[in-house]
Amino acid sequence: MTAAVTSRRRTTALIGDDNTVVVAGKRLTWRTLHKLPQLPSPAAVLVDSGADALAAVRHHAVHGTELLVATQSRVDLRMREELGESGFAIVLPDGAVTPARLKRVEESGRAWLLTSGSTGRPKRIGHTLESLTTVTGDQPPRTWLLPYSPGTYAWWQVVTLSLTQADQGLVVIEPNELEEWPAVAAEHGVTAASGTPTFWRQAIYRDADALAAVPLEQITLGGEPVDQAILDQLREVFPKARISWIYASSEVGASIVVHDGKAGFPKSWLDREPDPERPVLSVEGDELVIRSPHHGAGLVGAVHTGDRVEYDGDRVLITGRLDTDEINVGGSKVSAGVVRNVLMGHPGVSWARVFARKAPLVGRMVAAEVVPNRALGPITDADLVQWCSTRLPDYGVPRRIKFLDEIPQKETLKSDV
Amino acid sequence: MVKRLTAWVLDGDPLGFGTMSSVARGRVREMMGEVMTAQGRSLPADDTADLREIGFRSLDFSELALRVEDELGDELNFDAPGLRRIATVGDVLDFIEQLQSA
Repeated sequence: MTAAVTSRRRTTALIGDDNTVVVAGKRLTWRTLHKLPQLPSPAAVLVDSGADALAAVRHHAVHGTELLVATQSRVDLRMREELGESGFAIVLPDGAVTPARLKRVEESGRAWLLTSGSTGRPKRIGHTLESLTTVTGDQPPRTWLLPYSPGTYAWWQVVTLSLTQADQGLVVIEPNELEEWPAVAAEHGVTAASGTPTFWRQAIYRDADALAAVPLEQITLGGEPVDQAILDQLREVFPKARISWIYASSEVGASIVVHDGKAGFPKSWLDREPDPERPVLSVEGDELVIRSPHHGAGLVGAVHTGDRVEYDGDRVLITGRLDTDEINVGGSKVSAGVVRNVLMGHPGVSWARVFARKAPLVGRMVAAEVVPNRALGPITDADLVQWCSTRLPDYGVPRRIKFLDEIPQKETLKSDV
Repeated sequence: MVKRLTAWVLDGDPLGFGTMSSVARGRVREMMGEVMTAQGRSLPADDTADLREIGFRSLDFSELALRVEDELGDELNFDAPGLRRIATVGDVLDFIEQLQSA
């Protein structure tokens, strides 16, 4: 449904307008955030701070404008031109506005997201505040950490929760605060946080004691394949917290939510009876296929996610992207995600990336980059080869392992895996 | 496609002119031993030892090639030499030597 609507309407109730919003150490509320009175519509608001992004979202929620919000660095010049030609005025962090090249009627209440672009150039996916609000009903009062990059699906998830539900405060982490977020979170009493497995792994790796000082009751992981090792490590640091992982994307919305502390989801969730409120999950070949009530606009029916699944007993594990996950070693196929899970299961490993390396005779070999857990003393590649040899077929054992000093991280908080 | 090796080393080259790099046969043998050790086996001293008997398989050979490439800082060119029979430890060392001069 993409028909233009000429009369503006308030898209969803701002029940959370008086929720606390901490930005750059300042305690505000949604209502007292700075205002953007001159924001055009449709507008692509490119930001370099979380505060500006939240102000744009509140403006959108109050006035029903058409909005795309993203960090400035994610939208290159070519994409700015494309947006201009699609009717968006471009608003830069300093307030400078480039008028749209195409004049058109706004789609009232439309919020646009850019996909992460992990499979090519970012795509625009149409949503509304309603379709982005997947957590409804009575929620226990919480103060949420907001570490995500503005405009990503995960960011919108936390933002809409705070804007539309009572007692859901926000503590915004700006990019320059990412390394020290546990200190900020502890200071402002953050009780709930959502992050990628890489984000959590880094926090444990940098300073597990600082992390443990955050009074977390709800821990959520998403955005990347979630392995058992990170779930177990978080459980150790936070024995009483609820630990959940979410499978969500701009295209299919939040489709899988698992609270039992285990990687993957129960096999019994596949091919269940259709229910208007619940996505239908299925597997075609090795690929996860989702029919979701939270699809973006224009996406109907089954969405082939491009994510590879593998069965492990009564669980379905999501191991990685289909196009990059499979490594063919001399005709034997192995999942990079599975190898990575095995490496990550080694107590001396904080992070691992697994990839194919061109090799004679067998075409491709499994190779890995590893960040060791400094707290547990040195490990060698021979230790890891031995560890993998007892858990993987011989062609799946990484033969070349390079040790890195720190975990590489992209702006989306995902590691470059 | 024939690719020339272009890595240069300065070891033993005090004037800094550089020489075309290669990994010496003894060093390749050492690496072959490392590959075997990592797989829980050992490399016999005898160059005539049969690869099948000592359990040196194609994955091990591929790993050895990657180790040599990492030390050289360049890829070995496997397209150039003709197919040949590699049955003993000595054959492996000869072959790697030949690849480096390809």
